[in-house]
Amino acid sequence: MLVAPSAGLYGVLFIAPFLYFVIISFWDVKNYQLTPDLSGDNYVETFDRYAGIFFFTIEMAFVIALLTTVLGFVYAYIARFKAGKWGTALLLIALVTLFGGYLMKIYAWKTILGNEGVLNSALLTLGIVAQPLTALLYSPGAVVVTLVHFLLPFAILPIYASLRGLDDVSLEAARDLGAPPWRILAGIVIPQCKAGLIAAFTFCFLLPVGDYVTPLLVGGKVVMIGNMVATQFGKSFNWPLGAAMAVSILVCAFVIVVVMNWAMSRWRPR
Amino acid sequence: MAAPIDRTSTLFWRVIAGAFVFFLLSPLLLVVLFSFTDRGISAFPIEGLSIQWWVAMIEHRQFASALTNSLIISGAVALISAAVGTMAAIGLARLPPRYANIGIAALCLPLMLPPLVLAVALLSAYVAAGMKLGLLTVILAHLLFTQPFVILVVYARMVTFDHAVVESARDLGASPLKAFFTVTLPIIRPTVIGAALIAAALSLDDFIITFFNIGGGNTLPTFVWGFIRTGLRPTVNAIGTTILVMTVGATIIALWLTRYRG
Repeated sequence: MLVAPSAGLYGVLFIAPFLYFVIISFWDVKNYQLTPDLSGDNYVETFDRYAGIFFFTIEMAFVIALLTTVLGFVYAYIARFKAGKWGTALLLIALVTLFGGYLMKIYAWKTILGNEGVLNSALLTLGIVAQPLTALLYSPGAVVVTLVHFLLPFAILPIYASLRGLDDVSLEAARDLGAPPWRILAGIVIPQCKAGLIAAFTFCFLLPVGDYVTPLLVGGKVVMIGNMVATQFGKSFNWPLGAAMAVSILVCAFVIVVVMNWAMSRWRPR
Repeated sequence: MAAPIDRTSTLFWRVIAGAFVFFLLSPLLLVVLFSFTDRGISAFPIEGLSIQWWVAMIEHRQFASALTNSLIISGAVALISAAVGTMAAIGLARLPPRYANIGIAALCLPLMLPPLVLAVALLSAYVAAGMKLGLLTVILAHLLFTQPFVILVVYARMVTFDHAVVESARDLGASPLKAFFTVTLPIIRPTVIGAALIAAALSLDDFIITFFNIGGGNTLPTFVWGFIRTGLRPTVNAIGTTILVMTVGATIIALWLTRYRG
């Protein structure tokens, strides 16, 4: 009974809109009106005209998720095992940067990477370069750095939570028995925090798959499928096509996530 | 023999940790710093400090309404998601953990979807239902991704809750409602307030869902969006710093209240 209001909101604001959204992806637009239909044309168009952007998006999200998960692991590992009394401070920094500043983080990278940006002016002042590096901003690399920065706290926290359950006794036992550090890492630490690594990868993959603000602000000519979806719901007014694109990328992303989860849970490092 | 190796290795980890902290924090600190520049662009060198961009922000004719809208939306979202989420968390905590975890996982599903997908799915549903876009549609949309956080935080508190105190109140004749307001709520109040503040921070910071579902009007993030696209103007930094101070402030108070540690 107590769960009812929550479940009601969930049904009305999530299940129903989402089902409707999937349905309109089979519809059509005639004279600027949504017209019920049952056609796969929007999906054909998604994979026909936008295949390049589609797979580029998957590729970018994969690189971003992998990088963020690895960096998140290193950070969580330091906070848990190497930082001593500073561990809590490292954790707090991750928590505080978690809940705020989406637009500001992206904008900050624009001020860092631009021609007159912080990085270029530092390089010029130090005499490392004679001309500003124009390729820093408006490139796929800029999108990757910006999203890794935004997502890092989301990767750190689940990995840290799963490392916390790891008891120091087994680590010390392994060390006393003469196991080299990489064996302890691969044989004890990583298997123990698999659940955290999987959660981090999943989140850090699914979010960039649908992001459009980052490519728009720091990507320049970089176009991801999110930009196409946003355009269909904005000035192009082709909601059915936009819905088909969004559904396609979600299905594709979920398949990849499930395969990755399966592979990670099967993986036994030695 | 071991000592020098240990010292180099400690130094090594310190340098790495320092690099991480620099990477995480310096972009945000730059946003704050450039809001006080006396030049017309958010770039080094900063020749002198000035509050002109803050004045420009406050004097902008859309600032007051954007701030008001942001406060109305995040206030309403905080209150409603705290109430609804707390009820759900208490209900879930009474179930066997297995079922509770399934319920929580299902309710957290919206967090797994990119905000853009939630935004356009909600937009098409609102239009189909004939709802006029405005503050209400944004508040409802925000509840979807704030209530999971409230449920997670309050559920974690309820798992360690001592139910004996509620039972004794009930044995002494208190109604379930009275027992909740006089016993349960006072005990879990810091957690609930903390969860509400996290909901407020998430709502305040949201751009994508708000942008698609507000119709006309602005919140602070959609207001700053108009400036961002046109160049590196320090007014952006002033508005951005305002948003940051509010979200980070709410988060810090929330962490302190809930004593959440990872």
